[in-house]
Amino acid sequence: MDSFQPEITLLYCRQCLAQGVKPVEGRRAGEGFSARLVMLPCSSKVQLPHLMRLIEAGSDALQIAACPEKACQHLVGSNRAENRVAYGQDLLAQVGMGAERLGLEREAGLSLDDLLRMAGRRAEAVRALGPNPMKGV
Amino acid sequence: MITAEWKPIEEMVGYLRGHKKVLLVGCATCVAECAAGGEREVETLAPLLAMAMQNDGNPIEITTATLERQCEPEFVATIADRAAAADAIVSISCGIGMQLMADTHADTPLYPGVNTTSLSIREEPGLWTSRCAACGDCVLGVTFGLCPVARCAKSLMNGPCGGTRENGMCEINEDTPCIWRLIVERATARGQVESLVEVKPPKDWSNSPAGGPKRMLREDLRS
Repeated sequence: MDSFQPEITLLYCRQCLAQGVKPVEGRRAGEGFSARLVMLPCSSKVQLPHLMRLIEAGSDALQIAACPEKACQHLVGSNRAENRVAYGQDLLAQVGMGAERLGLEREAGLSLDDLLRMAGRRAEAVRALGPNPMKGV
Repeated sequence: MITAEWKPIEEMVGYLRGHKKVLLVGCATCVAECAAGGEREVETLAPLLAMAMQNDGNPIEITTATLERQCEPEFVATIADRAAAADAIVSISCGIGMQLMADTHADTPLYPGVNTTSLSIREEPGLWTSRCAACGDCVLGVTFGLCPVARCAKSLMNGPCGGTRENGMCEINEDTPCIWRLIVERATARGQVESLVEVKPPKDWSNSPAGGPKRMLREDLRS
């Protein structure tokens, strides 16, 4: 069995949650991975320095949960987040970390289980890369 | 503003091999406006360099600073202690700021993290386009405020060249408007198009960058 248990940081827009779902933060265990959930007022609040510092600090991968394209409360916030993620993926590839360590999915009406499933998909995307070489540095 | 673009990270890695303590310095003025060298870019590039060097087998310890203006001695002097503690400096200011940094902290090797590229404006979010070539003999007064030196691919003084595309764009770069077309249109709109056919004295290129390093002296400002 694969001993690598990816540590995923999941940054989610609170507007992605289904009505009545209470925002949650902190660590959660998934099957074959763990996720640290961080709630954002909008996915556009994530800037490139945040993303790069989180990878530098040892997260195996970052997943951003953003609203569907026409559903952003700030109109273009999720588009900005998507553009930043694409740029960040290119930068991570340039430094040999792998573009897969960063991802974004657009969804609405999410439950906590949905968030964990999203983190799980990022864990699978990064599993072949192995642990973040910055871990413990 | 002076615009710059990051160098390929691979090139920066090449510079930094053999160094252990690196100070990455940005500038909060022009290069911040063009998203190449401000605080946000410093704090993005620092972890990227740390990761690149780790993967290269040459781990570094990297600290950061963003000066208000890297082209002013008073600001550059404020990081003397940090420059002395580093064994390399990477600057992502324009070439002017880089050289002042290198002169001021001459004991610590300095490497460029950007290429300085142009004097441009931000035309729209994420798009910067040239407006000035610092040619030393401004012709905007006779070209209706549109610079053919910086904005014509051939720097023609008597355009258009005849290669303007049907959609009004330059034959060299389809994303760039033919500046001579725009000059003629503006002259026509002002009813002064005939001024463009007047014979003018040759442009004085002796004050351009091709004339060698510039030295501008104002005795009234010297102490």
